Amino acid sequence: MNTSVTSIKLVLLGEAAVGKSSIVLRFVSNDFAENKEPTIGAAFLTQRVTINEHTVKFEIWDTAGQERFASLAPMYYRNAQAALVVYDVTKPQSFIKARHWVKELHEQASKDIIIALVGNKIDVLQDGGERKVAKEEGEKLAEEKGLLFFETSAKTGENVNNVFLGIGEKIPLKKAEEQNNANEGESNNQRVDLNAANNGTSANSACSC
Amino acid sequence: MLSPERRPSMAERRPSFFSFNQNPSPLVVPHLAGIEDPLPATTPDKVDVLIAGTGMVESVLAAALAWQGSNVLHIDKNDYYGDTSATLTVDQIKRWVNEVNEGSVSCYKNAKLYVSTLIGSGKYSSRDFGIDLSPKILFAKSDLLSILIKSRVHQYLEFQSLSNFHTYENDCFEKLTNTKQEIFTDQNLPLMTKRNLMKFIKFVLNWEAQTDIWQPYAEKTMSDFLVEKFRLEKPQVFELIFSIGLCYDLNVKVPEALQRIRRYLTSFDVYGPFPALCSKYGGPGELSQGFCRSAAVGGATYKLNEKLVSFNPTTKVATFQDGSKVEVSEKVIVSPTQAPNESKHVPLQQYQVHRLTCIVENPCNEWFNEGESAAMVVFPPGSLKSGNKEVVQAFILGAGSEICPEGTIVWYLSTTEQGPRAEMDIDAALEAMEMALLRESSSGLENDDEIVQLRGDGHTIVNSVKLGQSFKEYVPRERLQFLFKLYYTQYTSTPPFGVVSSSFFDANQDLEKKYIPGASDNGVIYTTMPSAEISYDEVVTAAKVLYEKIVGSDDDFFDLDFEDEDEIQAGGAVNTEQFESAIDDDDDDVNMEGSGEFVGEMEI
Repeated sequence: MNTSVTSIKLVLLGEAAVGKSSIVLRFVSNDFAENKEPTIGAAFLTQRVTINEHTVKFEIWDTAGQERFASLAPMYYRNAQAALVVYDVTKPQSFIKARHWVKELHEQASKDIIIALVGNKIDVLQDGGERKVAKEEGEKLAEEKGLLFFETSAKTGENVNNVFLGIGEKIPLKKAEEQNNANEGESNNQRVDLNAANNGTSANSACSC
Repeated sequence: MLSPERRPSMAERRPSFFSFNQNPSPLVVPHLAGIEDPLPATTPDKVDVLIAGTGMVESVLAAALAWQGSNVLHIDKNDYYGDTSATLTVDQIKRWVNEVNEGSVSCYKNAKLYVSTLIGSGKYSSRDFGIDLSPKILFAKSDLLSILIKSRVHQYLEFQSLSNFHTYENDCFEKLTNTKQEIFTDQNLPLMTKRNLMKFIKFVLNWEAQTDIWQPYAEKTMSDFLVEKFRLEKPQVFELIFSIGLCYDLNVKVPEALQRIRRYLTSFDVYGPFPALCSKYGGPGELSQGFCRSAAVGGATYKLNEKLVSFNPTTKVATFQDGSKVEVSEKVIVSPTQAPNESKHVPLQQYQVHRLTCIVENPCNEWFNEGESAAMVVFPPGSLKSGNKEVVQAFILGAGSEICPEGTIVWYLSTTEQGPRAEMDIDAALEAMEMALLRESSSGLENDDEIVQLRGDGHTIVNSVKLGQSFKEYVPRERLQFLFKLYYTQYTSTPPFGVVSSSFFDANQDLEKKYIPGASDNGVIYTTMPSAEISYDEVVTAAKVLYEKIVGSDDDFFDLDFEDEDEIQAGGAVNTEQFESAIDDDDDDVNMEGSGEFVGEMEI
């Protein structure tokens, strides 16, 4: 098996309460519960997937609410290789917002970012809820803008893994090559790992607080 | 002492996190407040703390408070993060310069900007550049670095090493002898000097305890101390005070200078053969964004483009420019640049820091040590044509730092000189750098063999900067292509200091007792502007002082205990089976690796 691991920074975007974090939690833990307390890692959640003998490590960044007042920092988009733009199939407003995020990504993020448009909460339809965003609308937007398209239920898990699998399949080979090339260059080699202090008197002990 | 009224810290409020092993199923993910609650469309009605300004100090403070459990509303009147510590594009700088000269950005004056047509309409775009308003370097052993790790904010950032420190003297850029090995092997150092230097280095690592040595000199200058007590000569004295200590003038007091010299020496070799680090994509502007994100994850609310209009200390209501209001149960913290109109309490910003930032179209790779994109050049007092009394520091960053495109370089020059002299000193330093660069990049270098030196230990070193010799006689054939030049004077209440002392940041004592009728900022606590200090050392001290004022104690300042990946691996293994089977059902092609390592592995 190929031991190389490709890291993919994936950012989440979408209107509040469309289930962004739930999709990720479903993906990383397969543990979805209704009214689950909002959760995500203090930096980002990670999950590894092996696709075609290649390991892909997703680093998944949540907006942490900073999108609410148009206050996402440039840092959020920087070097993101993939994005999930999530909307709720029962809320047309969230689909309008999804268009906005796709536009924003094309302006702010790197040109070759892989974007997956995700219509979430399809379980609600089975429970008698009403669909307000047709599947075709999502497909159309995805085709226009060159996005991957999925409809999911974070609640039941339906199609969730395929989202990440789809992104993973689209990215690794191209990216792996790029990363290898980059590793030969100077800029990546000189990265200093702050967790790798040389001795016991590490920087951690410098803090007097 | 912990105040009895203290709110429980985030760690204490997350019992689930610590019962991870006892309660293995379902997967326990720590409660972190800032994520996907049904989010209100408007700002909250009531918060514990309101912070205006997203500069370095305010951002560290916001993160500390959020993780401590305070409900924080963090605003900035600008449409970008960073305030006084921002990293800006060229277009943003243009806007900023206009605002400074209109007087709508306080604490800055005399902004002068030149931008080449190559930026914008030429081969470079405005967004290719990230210019810091107050560039900083991070010492490898420092309070901020440990907080970066504790808070996991370092995971948002990339750091690169900075090992190249130069002192400019007699029209030469002397490369620093900064390690014991280099001192031993430097052929140019007389044996006696080597011994004296080693004696000093041994002393300085534990200087506080050896009062008998330094106490008699406590009120004298560092240069007197080094010359009289350690018999060091001028080149070593200058190197120690200015390149290693990064002090500002020869009058620096002994304890201050000792502290600063030790900072360099103890930082050296923590991560490798270099004392300091620089963050990629920008300095404090990047770190501010990282701490703000951390605060947001901890539950703080962020709103850019929001200006504080007034605070009423009786009703405790803060009013914003868009008409919205918030009740603040504890404190309102405001950066001096974000003070409301009609404010009357902004502390006097009596010290000037003069800055000149240039972008030069020349890769200058020779200026960096191999694999690096950063260098520091110090012009000690008296080393420049202008007869400078204060140091001019030049912090140099290349394209590898991703703040400028390939083939260009950014020079950040600054001085603590006050008044009109400052610009003359900075100009003289710029000229010295320009001459050096033209000389080394001109074709047909006459003395190629002098560039490569064979050292005593048999190592060949390339005098990579190629600055090692005088260019007094050199007449350049061409001018350097400047893409960008920005002069400005920044004002601060923090003197150029040596030892970081919390008293420097106590500019608004007893403020609450002295309300002024009609003032829009009664009861507001102001933060400090960045000082001339090139390191981040002041940031944590300033944030801590404010934290203590709000919380009552700094005992739990970043009292965080995120579990590391390894610990999670051990704890998470129990979930493996359930997890694996669930995934297998879904898709056979996806082979989620089964070990616990991958189960909700939290990189925090």
